[in-house]
Amino acid sequence: MIVAEETEVDYVEPVQNPAERLRRILVRMLIYGILILWAVICLFPIYWTVTTSFKIAPDVMRSHLVPFYDFMPQWLGWRSLGLSPETIFETSTVREEFLRRFWNSVLTSVSASFLAIVIGSLAAYGLTRFSYKFGPMRNKDISFFFLSQLILPPVVLALPFLVLYKELALLDTSIGLILLYTLMVLPIVIWIMRDQFRAIPVELEEAALVDGLSIWGAFLRIVLPISVPGMVAAFILALILCWNEYFFAALLTSTDAKTLPVMVASQTGSQGINWWAMAALSTAAIGPLVIVGILLERYIIAGMATGAVK
Amino acid sequence: MKSHVYQRLLAMQASRRNVLKGAVGAGALALGSASGLATLVPRASAQGSLRAEMLKIPGVGAGSPTDADWQKVGELCLGGTKATVQEGEFAGVQLTFMGLNNQNLHNFLFRGFLKPWEAYTGARINWIDLAQADYNARLQQSIATGTVDFDILQMGAPFEGDVCGKGLASVMPDWVRDLIEMDDYVGYLKEPVGTWDGKTYRISIDGDCHNFNYRTDYFENEDFAKAWKDEGHAGDWAVPTTWQQVQEVTKFLKGKTIDGFPANGYLDPLKGWGGFGFYFLASRATAYAKHPDDSAWLFDPDTMKPRVNNEAWVRAIQDVLDVMDAQPPDQINADPGTTGFQQFLAGTGSMLSWWGDIGSSAKTSDSSIVGDVIGFSTLPGSDDVWNHKAGKWETLSSGPNFAPNMAYIGWGVYVMARVDSDSKKQKAAWSAAAHLGGKDISLWCAAYPSGFQPYRNSHFNIPEWVEAGYDEAFIDDYLSSEADSYNHPNAAIEPRIPGIFQYYSVAEDELAKTYAGQYASAQEGADKIAEAWERITDQIGRDNQIKLYKASLGI
Amino acid sequence: MQDVSPSHSELDDIVAAEPALENRGRWGVLVLAGGTFVLVSTFAIQLLHANGSIAFGFDTWRPVVYAYLVWAVSLGASQVLRRGQAGSRALFVLPAVLFIAAMVIFPLTFGLYISFTDWNLSSFEGRKFNGLDNLRQMMSDVFYWNALLNMLWYSLAVLVEYAIAFGLALLLHAEIRARKFFRVVFLLPLMLSPVAVSWMVGKSMMEIRFGPLANLARWLGWETPIFFSDPWLAKASIMVMDAWTFIPLMMIMLLAGLQTLPKEVMEAAKVDGATAWQTFWKIVFPLTLPVSITAIMIRIIFKLKLADIIINVTSGGPGGATDSVTSFIFREYRDRSNVGYGTLLAMVYLVIIVVALTTLLNLLGRWMRGYGQEES
Repeated sequence: MIVAEETEVDYVEPVQNPAERLRRILVRMLIYGILILWAVICLFPIYWTVTTSFKIAPDVMRSHLVPFYDFMPQWLGWRSLGLSPETIFETSTVREEFLRRFWNSVLTSVSASFLAIVIGSLAAYGLTRFSYKFGPMRNKDISFFFLSQLILPPVVLALPFLVLYKELALLDTSIGLILLYTLMVLPIVIWIMRDQFRAIPVELEEAALVDGLSIWGAFLRIVLPISVPGMVAAFILALILCWNEYFFAALLTSTDAKTLPVMVASQTGSQGINWWAMAALSTAAIGPLVIVGILLERYIIAGMATGAVK
Repeated sequence: MKSHVYQRLLAMQASRRNVLKGAVGAGALALGSASGLATLVPRASAQGSLRAEMLKIPGVGAGSPTDADWQKVGELCLGGTKATVQEGEFAGVQLTFMGLNNQNLHNFLFRGFLKPWEAYTGARINWIDLAQADYNARLQQSIATGTVDFDILQMGAPFEGDVCGKGLASVMPDWVRDLIEMDDYVGYLKEPVGTWDGKTYRISIDGDCHNFNYRTDYFENEDFAKAWKDEGHAGDWAVPTTWQQVQEVTKFLKGKTIDGFPANGYLDPLKGWGGFGFYFLASRATAYAKHPDDSAWLFDPDTMKPRVNNEAWVRAIQDVLDVMDAQPPDQINADPGTTGFQQFLAGTGSMLSWWGDIGSSAKTSDSSIVGDVIGFSTLPGSDDVWNHKAGKWETLSSGPNFAPNMAYIGWGVYVMARVDSDSKKQKAAWSAAAHLGGKDISLWCAAYPSGFQPYRNSHFNIPEWVEAGYDEAFIDDYLSSEADSYNHPNAAIEPRIPGIFQYYSVAEDELAKTYAGQYASAQEGADKIAEAWERITDQIGRDNQIKLYKASLGI
Repeated sequence: MQDVSPSHSELDDIVAAEPALENRGRWGVLVLAGGTFVLVSTFAIQLLHANGSIAFGFDTWRPVVYAYLVWAVSLGASQVLRRGQAGSRALFVLPAVLFIAAMVIFPLTFGLYISFTDWNLSSFEGRKFNGLDNLRQMMSDVFYWNALLNMLWYSLAVLVEYAIAFGLALLLHAEIRARKFFRVVFLLPLMLSPVAVSWMVGKSMMEIRFGPLANLARWLGWETPIFFSDPWLAKASIMVMDAWTFIPLMMIMLLAGLQTLPKEVMEAAKVDGATAWQTFWKIVFPLTLPVSITAIMIRIIFKLKLADIIINVTSGGPGGATDSVTSFIFREYRDRSNVGYGTLLAMVYLVIIVVALTTLLNLLGRWMRGYGQEES
């Protein structure tokens, strides 16, 4: 019923039949009701996290919800990160620690996503435009080889990677983590970019080649600019997966390269949980991605829409 | 001189409860302590004033200390470092410290404490923070893969078999021994704990035992007292002193209310905790399983055959099963930390076995509401005790059997052998460790939320606590329960053998299944644990384990 | 692998590959030989050094990585030199192939080896080969099979997620006000880290004493809202939390699919007087089927890795009811340092899911052809 309406704008079209009209209003109400309900479902946990970071123990225990109405916001949670107004200008060991983790997360996830985009786009382009034969493997098999990496459960690689990285002196280095994350998101990037390139008409490059550009020239000058929205979509997805990755980060890093999710997960111990501090840290950990999501959301769907249906 | 005060305290505590019953008695105690203080502690001495000043940061009742407070304490206690290290002597030295990352405790404190130390000595410290549940895994991994990527390690004595036994730790230099006044340690932390093959490795920063925490308002509640009589229970309505009574009280409280809220009896943490959850069952079991004539209680020392499925342990498991329906409703998935800090300290439940930090947090933590109604004692005993060798239950002529569980034997700071090749780095590492294990700083840790509890004789100097703002009756009650446990002749001390946390962890998993009703009986669950323990022993090497187990028991 | 020979394809026909010059071909061989020599000799030196056979060598194996990079570059260069155009086409896929090969082959081989050893990290003797013992132990490990069964349930939950995601995508695709707002909001849960979700939703919002979800449930008439004590309820709670974070992913994929539907078809349907219901089943659903299949497959693959939330919220409890295979192995491996057995379990899991997914894909392919669609 919803789909039927999407080609027309209902409030423009005059509706004569009162019964039909009533039905339409009811449908509208139902639609907006569902939309609002789901919006609440999506937003409330975030709201809860942010507000909890301004609570103190009794507010948490009494499940207060609305700041200024049933509890007075306090800086307790943020103070434990050295980010409250009175601690922000003082030397703070906790803040230093937090900022280092934060920076590590940014460095690792952005680099890995970028690297995956570069390698992945090249491969995807090659696979959509040329036929390869690596020994017995044809394009279809090579594609499957790439995509099958997605299936590998991280736990299979856990200990081997530990041993490998130890021998390569890559333990607790951002480089090591970047390489691993690149491996992790590469299949997804290839998958998205392959659809992207498929949607671009081959004639474009044919014209460029006839004009005397090399295949790399055609790729860099003609194809790349067109496929930017898809790349942004792939980049954001990769970024989300890298930023939130916990398992390998917990395993392979200890001091220098440790990232935020590990810091969040290790906030618990023999003393129970300080919810306000946990919430402050969680807020700081989800904040950047939420902002990225809000700013770049249109690229994700636009990018995926380019190639999703062939 | 402080030990003198401590002796006096020990003498006093026999009649402690009677004394505390009357205000007159409390007054008398205060008088006695005050006079003792006047004669025994030279208040004008530099150290005395330092300790007093330190304990005022931030002050009891002023909420949880923050980063700024830790730095201040660290600055104040820098005396020992200044006496042994030149300013800027360690410039350019980089050290890595691996410890626990409990929010606002452990490494958080150490970072604050060591900040002034870094500023003075010029060294720099990098941090590896671990969640409690990750701790054992991370340590084992480092050892097995040869990736010891830290110089200083916060570690519990149970791991000494894994670390010192494999030659990974650095032997304590004599100047450190003098600096931290090791003679001040309570008895059970002295050798052989902290040593391996006769060499000393450990700077203690914590003493551990489970003590028994209870809510005084429950046991002073007249409705309960009346109902207790009405329902025909034996004896007066009072704090239980044996597990049999704990069970009876817990069942009695089921379905009753206190101040309009559901009343609960003894709280059993039922969920695993990276191995640490096993201690809660052990605390229930020691009174049944630790016979005064037998130092072993977890394994047979000659064969490493597990005792965990003998009648004593099965009875302890059965006890847990019997009162599961009297627990708060979400208990089966509640983390032990939740049980201690979100249930007990926040007012749910009336009895709990826990490490001493429940006591030190009761008055000073932001989340506690039970500060004025909490009481302490050693772990309950049992009317009868299992004699494993004879294979029967015995009733001792001396009355109920008590066996406080020295769960975890406390955290210590260890320096890794990898610094030994560089004498400057070695000195720096030991200096940092000694700063954390200093006598004064440890008093602050014992008095405020830190994750650590008292472990030196000098910590039992009550006037210091009172001056810091503690209520005298409260602190006397708390410290006595600790001291009584530490000094108990039948204390249950766990084996310091390699892989001990693997045993605990697998036991936790099997217990979780037992509690969830996956096994037909407590006995079957216990047999599963024993089976898994046998497998681990074979994997690690039975002969070696037997040797180390005997050594740790002093046989 | 060196035999990278693009045969003809769409673009190959445009510009005839220029004849590879004899000279360049020889250079190409030389460059590759040089690169191979660097790699092999570095590897050999390091191997001998690690063995203790020779004193000369490096502290770590990292130089071998650099040598591999040199070799990879020389391989690429030789392709261009020897094959000209065809070679430079190979350069598109070579980086990805070489990267994945380097990152996966060693760990998988080594993993396969340790899965047949008895290796407890605390053991003084290190690892010992124990043949099929681990496999035998697995056969009698009911809790591993239980975890596998749980994975089946968790995977089935994807269908429900799919239905919800499709519904939301349809709503967002309809003419609605504030569409941008809703689109952004619906996407947000995907951004959140599972670790943060475990804590702030699983442990805080579902907390029986103060959690708002528990309060809501109480208000709705459920007296003791305990989300994690009953086995099925606990499983469902985990499913809901996981679904919450991943529905947006399926939703945007389906929305993207809907947006590419040709308008003419829809209008034609409208003109023909088809009802909304008919339009959906006869046109929208079949046309978006390829996207749906992709979305479901991707989602199942992600689901098979489910672990973070379980580890942090229930540790597999009560009694293994919520265990996923990964969280089960995680405990075996992390808490008990039982690496050999844990790795075997992981390997078996890998085999099972590869077989299951391939079968599923084949079935779907057959079914889709029946539906008149080409497999994507």
